[in-house]
Amino acid sequence: MTRDLRMRWLTPALALLLVLSLSACTSFTPNSIFGAHSQFGHSVDSLTRKLVVLGAIVFVLVETLIVFILVKFRERDGNREAKQFHGNATLEIAWTLIPAIILAFIAVPTIKTIFETEAKAPPSALQVEVIGHQWWWEFRYPQYGITTANELYLPVGRTANFALTTKDVLHSFWIPQLDGKRDLISNHTNYIWFTPDSAFAWNGFCAEYCGTSHANMHFKVFTVAPAEFDAWAAHQKTNAVGSAPPAPAPGAATDSAKGTPPVTKIATSVGTTTPAGEVAKPPVATPVMNVSDTTSATYPRNKLPEWVIPKTPTPAALTFDASATGDATRGMTLFRTAPCIACHAIRGVPTAQGIVGPNLTHVGSRTTIAGGIYPNDLHHLELWIKNAPAMKPGSLMPLFGKAEKGDTPGLYTDQQIADLAAYLSSLK
Amino acid sequence: MATTVSLPPTPYTVTSDKYESGIWSWLSTTDHKRIGQLYLYTSLFWFLVGGLEAGMIRTQLYGPNGHFVSATTYNELFTMHGTTMIFLVIMPLSAAFFNFLIPLQIGARDVAFPRLNAFSYWVFLFGGLFINASWFFHAAPNAGWFGYAPLTTRPYSPGLNIDFWVIGLQILGISSLAAGFNFITTIINMRAPGMHFMRMPVFTWMAFITQFMIILAFPIVTVALTLLMLDRFFGTNFYEISAGADPLLWQHLFWLFGHPEVYILILPAFGLVSEVLPVFSRKPLFGYPVMIYSGILIAFLGFGVWAHHMFAVGMGPIADSFFSITTMLIAIPTGVKIFNWLGTMWGGSLRFTTAMKFAIGLVALFTIGGISGVMHASPPSDLQQTDSYFIVAHFHYVLFGGSMMGLFAGLYFFYPKITGRLMGEKAGSWHFWLTFIGMNLTFFPMHFLGLHGMPRRISTYDAGQGWEQDNHLASYGAILIVVGTCFFVYNWFRSMKTGKVAGNDPWGGATLEWMIPSPPPDYNFATIPNVTSRYPLWDRKSPKLTAEVPHGSADESKIEVELMGQKTGTLPAPSDTIGNAASAQPVISSAKQLGIVMPTPTIRPLLAALSLGSVFIGLILHKNLPIMFLAAICFVLSLYSWLLTPLEPEHH
Repeated sequence: MTRDLRMRWLTPALALLLVLSLSACTSFTPNSIFGAHSQFGHSVDSLTRKLVVLGAIVFVLVETLIVFILVKFRERDGNREAKQFHGNATLEIAWTLIPAIILAFIAVPTIKTIFETEAKAPPSALQVEVIGHQWWWEFRYPQYGITTANELYLPVGRTANFALTTKDVLHSFWIPQLDGKRDLISNHTNYIWFTPDSAFAWNGFCAEYCGTSHANMHFKVFTVAPAEFDAWAAHQKTNAVGSAPPAPAPGAATDSAKGTPPVTKIATSVGTTTPAGEVAKPPVATPVMNVSDTTSATYPRNKLPEWVIPKTPTPAALTFDASATGDATRGMTLFRTAPCIACHAIRGVPTAQGIVGPNLTHVGSRTTIAGGIYPNDLHHLELWIKNAPAMKPGSLMPLFGKAEKGDTPGLYTDQQIADLAAYLSSLK
Repeated sequence: MATTVSLPPTPYTVTSDKYESGIWSWLSTTDHKRIGQLYLYTSLFWFLVGGLEAGMIRTQLYGPNGHFVSATTYNELFTMHGTTMIFLVIMPLSAAFFNFLIPLQIGARDVAFPRLNAFSYWVFLFGGLFINASWFFHAAPNAGWFGYAPLTTRPYSPGLNIDFWVIGLQILGISSLAAGFNFITTIINMRAPGMHFMRMPVFTWMAFITQFMIILAFPIVTVALTLLMLDRFFGTNFYEISAGADPLLWQHLFWLFGHPEVYILILPAFGLVSEVLPVFSRKPLFGYPVMIYSGILIAFLGFGVWAHHMFAVGMGPIADSFFSITTMLIAIPTGVKIFNWLGTMWGGSLRFTTAMKFAIGLVALFTIGGISGVMHASPPSDLQQTDSYFIVAHFHYVLFGGSMMGLFAGLYFFYPKITGRLMGEKAGSWHFWLTFIGMNLTFFPMHFLGLHGMPRRISTYDAGQGWEQDNHLASYGAILIVVGTCFFVYNWFRSMKTGKVAGNDPWGGATLEWMIPSPPPDYNFATIPNVTSRYPLWDRKSPKLTAEVPHGSADESKIEVELMGQKTGTLPAPSDTIGNAASAQPVISSAKQLGIVMPTPTIRPLLAALSLGSVFIGLILHKNLPIMFLAAICFVLSLYSWLLTPLEPEHH
């Protein structure tokens, strides 16, 4: 019987345990919620860890008890009679009260953290307006007069207070390593605030189902030293650089950053204990922005961690004439009268005042396009302009490539699109 | 099975008018057992469809940037997977058990309103077909089973997709409400003499509680859906954000239904497991009254926790705290149930049949879902967990590890009562282990996916986010579940032909349904039994098991099984019936021979359901008024015809 039992129960059960422990062994977790790289993160993190530990204890106790019962009280050859009892008041009161006590241990810190994290942000906070669109993010810094898209810059050590609204359906603002989710509700303004404590680049996601391309609504967050933030903000406030020649490859001159204060982690991140499943935090580099170069003042691209660089493959059917080399000046001329201006604004270009699509004033300074799903380079820009709906399902931006099949007829040849892309790329 | 030695090759057959086979007999049936089987087979069919959808989801998500299906199709798949599994599988599978078991367990011959019961089924069938017909129009619902406004309003979902969903769910709601009132009336009014509420089998108790939740929760979602339908078809502005609507109205209405719905899905499974565990532990249920009270408490608290689905919408600290506390409170009665099941097994003599394995599976797996449930009862922590794969893991442990495991336990346990034969234990064991391992392999890694930042409802994810390995594991697990389900389907149909003949009581059951032949004759009980304790059959067969359970007075302790008017008898005397089930092959008389009046079969409920459904077809065909009016007139006429026909033939 024992052998039989081992064959029938223990083997599959052990195999299962083995495989499940595998699932906890992902060592590389760049979007782990246990990151805790902000004050918000720390509060939530310590609470979640309490829950994980208590949950694990209950889990182990109950499941062990089940296995014990199954082994000890299985039907044996001797046909032992079952002990007959059908209730026990003391026991039942005990296992009503004990969970209640455990829950009280959870409830108290929970309520405390609720009131802590949902308090009003300090008045000195950096104000950021987050506006959800199908399927991209608009970010405004009212204190600085900046409007940008899909990329957030936040100074380390200063509280950022986000006012969340949506232009269409519901979305949810989530940076797993910095904050929890807060929904963007139509006809409401929601708030969430946190204080980032280390400089790095992070992934942000839309976490509320919002239609066809919900999966393709990402954003990037760059937490930088306050001085670097100020440099970035000052640059973003300027008008578009127009058709200036393409700037040198961004981030190429990292050494020119000498003299800027080195970015330090303002507060050391949580202790070394890591819960099951969390083996290591992503290695936190200490990137240094090229502050002296006021034409870009962006997060150095060569310091971007792998996991914030999108790797979405482009549709195989979508090709682009490799011989077309774009000319930014021609592109600028074309842009000013193209349908682009109906939806996109470029500060300094009087005709381009559209507000439906992302503001393109410094689009060349961003690392990604299309809601954070493609890297921002000429190739992807060209394909995107040529056929956005093919690049991103449901895209509200129509296709522009001639001979592309879609709902609207395309307008431009590959050469014209290459010019447009060259112009946009030049808007550092 | 000890009680099935030397059995005749086939179960008995009853030759009565009602048990004639043929399509017509099924279309016109009012027999609760047949309607139960209709529910059963329909929901098992949808289970395969929903499983297919899940398989496609797991194929798409196996690796990063998957392109097995388009984003549009993926969104339809996850919406329909959820909608199907909730409304077309778990609820009607529970309803199959309600139909089949409630009258048998309370010692009744049918439900209170047999024709309304048929109507419920036909409306359910129609609703399921309606909502799935959308696939053929390339317009399957695509806004999630929760259908958040304003995504579901006309400006953001101009197609037919949401029309199918909003109308289909209303149709299904009619079915659930009609059934709910029917079962409540049945349980209150038709219990056998001596079956006090505190002697009722636990499954019937949980079914009873579930029906109250249904009749209280479904009107709420019906209101929500009707408002949405008015918006979509008639230009009202309940959810129309351009007119200043507050989209949270939908969320509050939906979850005020949606959370009780969770308990509507789990309580019947709890009830089934509470039947299975005592039988195979050879012990009465531990703490019967506490099990009942905790079920009631869960149902009651279940109506006060809805906004824990909405911690991220910014309700403010007071509301967050309130719903956090009520949610934690609900863990207490649920935990009590778990411990009482363990108490039931403690000291028992456990026999690991397939039904028992699935029942234990529920206890083990629901515990995991319960623990993660408490974790997101804490709003700050939930802000990180909500809408991530952690939630997907949680509710699959609750609904697959809980509801489906319990329902499978019930299927293996009651299969012999339904078909007269036992399901194969060997294939059953394969089914259990593949499902159990596959289930954990699929859903346990999803906890980590959520904690590692993977949002829900995404049709694709990028490479290099640390999500590949766990998604691989989840997809492999899905393969195991598919293989396990193949064993189940094979076992199901094969056992019907070659399974061992069950006899009345193959498991040594304790409740009334095991007293009568399998499958039961159309009238169930020749003589309505007299009940004196919670375990009437154990009282007779193994009195030791119930020695400590409260009993009624001695003078009412005899179960009458003699056939009315047939005392020279063709049915074995009670002790024989119970003791060695089929030592003599029973020849079952028809209801007519016994002088038992049963409801007349009638097609009218089907006609009423069809014409009611046609009203909705007219609505979705761009408000086709002629069809709608014609169908409405047909509906009224069929109702008249139904109501003017007597339920039973003339009494002699």
